[in-house]
Amino acid sequence: MVEELIEELYRNYLTKSYLRGYKMDGRLVIGTLCNTVPEEAIHSCGAIPSRLIGSSNTPSKIPSWVCIYAKGVFESAIRGEFDYITGIVSSTSDDTKIHLYSAMLFYLKPERHYLIQLPYQKDGDAEEFYKNEILRLCKKLTGSDLSEDKLNKSISIYNRFREFLFELDSMRGEEKPKISGVEWMKILLSSTAMLKEEINKYLLKIVEEAKDRDGVGDYRMRVHLSGNDFFNIELIETMESMGFAIVSDDFCTAGGYYPGFAGKSLDGLVRRYLSQSACNLASENSLKERIEFIESKVSSSNADGIVILRDRGCEVCGHQCPFIMEEFRDIPTIVLDVDSGVTEQYQTRLEAFIEAYGD
Amino acid sequence: MDWNPLGYKNLYRELFRKHLQRQEELLKKGNKTAWFFSFAPSELIYVFDIVPAYPEQYSAYCASRGSSLDLIDESISSGYGHFLCDYFKTTVGSIISPEKATKPLMPPPDFIVDTRALCVAHHEMSEVFARKFGIPKYTVNYPYWTEDSVRNVDELTKEAEWVDPYYVSYTVSQLKGLVRFLENVCGEGLDEERFRKVFEISEKTSKLLIEIARLMMSRPTPGSQREIADLVFLGFFVLGSEYALEFAEKAYSTIKERVKKKEGVSNEKIRLLTFGIMPWHSLALYEYCEMKGMNFPLNLYVNASLHLSDSSKPFESMVRRSLHFTNCSYDLLECILKNAKRAEIDGALLLENTGCRITSMITRPIADILNENLGVPSLILEAPQCDPRVMNIERAKTQIEAFAESLM
Ligand code: SF4
Ligand code: SF4
Repeated sequence: MVEELIEELYRNYLTKSYLRGYKMDGRLVIGTLCNTVPEEAIHSCGAIPSRLIGSSNTPSKIPSWVCIYAKGVFESAIRGEFDYITGIVSSTSDDTKIHLYSAMLFYLKPERHYLIQLPYQKDGDAEEFYKNEILRLCKKLTGSDLSEDKLNKSISIYNRFREFLFELDSMRGEEKPKISGVEWMKILLSSTAMLKEEINKYLLKIVEEAKDRDGVGDYRMRVHLSGNDFFNIELIETMESMGFAIVSDDFCTAGGYYPGFAGKSLDGLVRRYLSQSACNLASENSLKERIEFIESKVSSSNADGIVILRDRGCEVCGHQCPFIMEEFRDIPTIVLDVDSGVTEQYQTRLEAFIEAYGD
Repeated sequence: MDWNPLGYKNLYRELFRKHLQRQEELLKKGNKTAWFFSFAPSELIYVFDIVPAYPEQYSAYCASRGSSLDLIDESISSGYGHFLCDYFKTTVGSIISPEKATKPLMPPPDFIVDTRALCVAHHEMSEVFARKFGIPKYTVNYPYWTEDSVRNVDELTKEAEWVDPYYVSYTVSQLKGLVRFLENVCGEGLDEERFRKVFEISEKTSKLLIEIARLMMSRPTPGSQREIADLVFLGFFVLGSEYALEFAEKAYSTIKERVKKKEGVSNEKIRLLTFGIMPWHSLALYEYCEMKGMNFPLNLYVNASLHLSDSSKPFESMVRRSLHFTNCSYDLLECILKNAKRAEIDGALLLENTGCRITSMITRPIADILNENLGVPSLILEAPQCDPRVMNIERAKTQIEAFAESLM
């Protein structure tokens, strides 16, 4: 059953049982802070990349106004919740991620660490530079050189993973969505907590079984969710219980994380990471690319409206939000500031939104 | 003696007069206007005769004149994030509602140059501004330096024992790309002779500015942060100009004389390190502290704006500019200890600039490193640089006084 498989995955995400098991087996678990970190390269070195997601939100050493994602990761790290990781890798995609990395280095002193310098241009020089960054990353993490053979195997595993997610994401966009917003988010969060070859086994079954589902048709409004490093399942649950069908999203932690297949070579990997339009800032024309990405998601999922889940501490959303609102002015759009938690006020505003635009 | 500043006020007045006069003349000639940010290679402004405007400086000006509040509110009500840097919010507010902004406004740009030599925010805001004006921009993507790429950086000169040549050459290639971009937008080729001359001026000026910062660490503290804080204007924006050199020569001889005579800015009771962007709306806070004998021989924010320019290696110098500790991972923070010891500080006043991830996220690590290595305590104040609502000045004074008492 799809539900059971997803719950099993999600339980593992909450307990981190796989990651702890890898660590016990003597394997390197590397915490990553951004989806611009080339996980395939880390995987090819025999290590396990795991995107860090925190659970705490009471900052002590970093300012209280920074984004929920950074506060969560940092405070969970300080409390020792990431005791299964041996190293961290981030990239220069935004100031928060750079300084979160720095703060973690300063206070936690991880055994292994690397900061990927992300080129903002997308020319030949940038490709060459990023390629070298990948080679340096592998050397720094493991002491040995990247093996192209192993890399190609890792790329295959990740491409398979991306294919599964592509299929599941498409099922969300069907007239009767076969995967709910909560299920989707649980799958994506779970994918941070085990090797991709392991989750692929689950995804194969989930995709097959989900195809036979009837889907949900009694919703009142189809919406696209827009945001950044979002991971609040409770809010999605609330929305679905109100009659929203969450048919797509562009979160860095979900709909923006998986797109783009890599060609089977280091060059192919480089091109994949430098071309992913879901990434927020790592380009010269990030605004244009982000808007185009949202457009493609909204149109392929036939969303009737957009809910922007804005974290007021998110520098990326903070700069882009007015342009996104302007660009989608012909589609019903609502902005919710999510950094103050799910409040009654949200529910009232969402109810008004669905009343105005839903069936 | 209550308060005895160096008297740089007149020098600044002259500096700004000459800077504005240059702007006017070039604008009349129809030269290109561009917006630049701190840590951009300001020398190129003088090589290419560009009319520069600086969103950070303009925002500070709006804050000191009281218009930044309205502009920040304008930005937030237009949908921009609450917790973005005040410079962005003030500038974008002035674009949306110029009638609310302090005059003269910045001239509208023909193009924008941003770098990641300090923050990604420069890149983020330049994208917003370029889109609003429909103009081209160029980004120079400097590395954020880590232990993998740099060793032992001098906190003042930014000279390093080792800098990864691979990163240097990648950054130099981008800087050369910037030169090509400027050749294109300005419609003129690079004048090699001019380039050489501007960098000679930059080198001389940079040496003098570094000496001023060194002399500030003398006992008693010779100058006031009211006047030293504005050195960032020279370090960030006009390095390479003749008027910056003139300023630096006079400012250096004044402070040298003062140190020789062992004259201080006030009757020194305690010596504080300070870091963080000045709350431009409340600069009098420094004066207030100094009058009470709390002097600031070391301002790490000002020091970050300085670097030793080397005219024999102009492109490498432009890279060196990015080697300030705020662009280095925190495990390299120990570089601040040398000058903290030399300045014989008793405590630190650290300003957490709300919305600025660069200055704010590093404040606690600075406090911790000072405490662990030198036993020096810190007071951290939340102080957005253009928004006085968050920082109650009277409360800040009380907190600082209580902190000072605990040190005495
Ligand atoms: S993209 Fe936004 S939410 Fe994600 S780390 Fe950066 S500031 Fe935080
Ligand atoms: S205040 Fe901070 S975020 Fe803003 S420009 Fe300066 S360093 Fe960048």
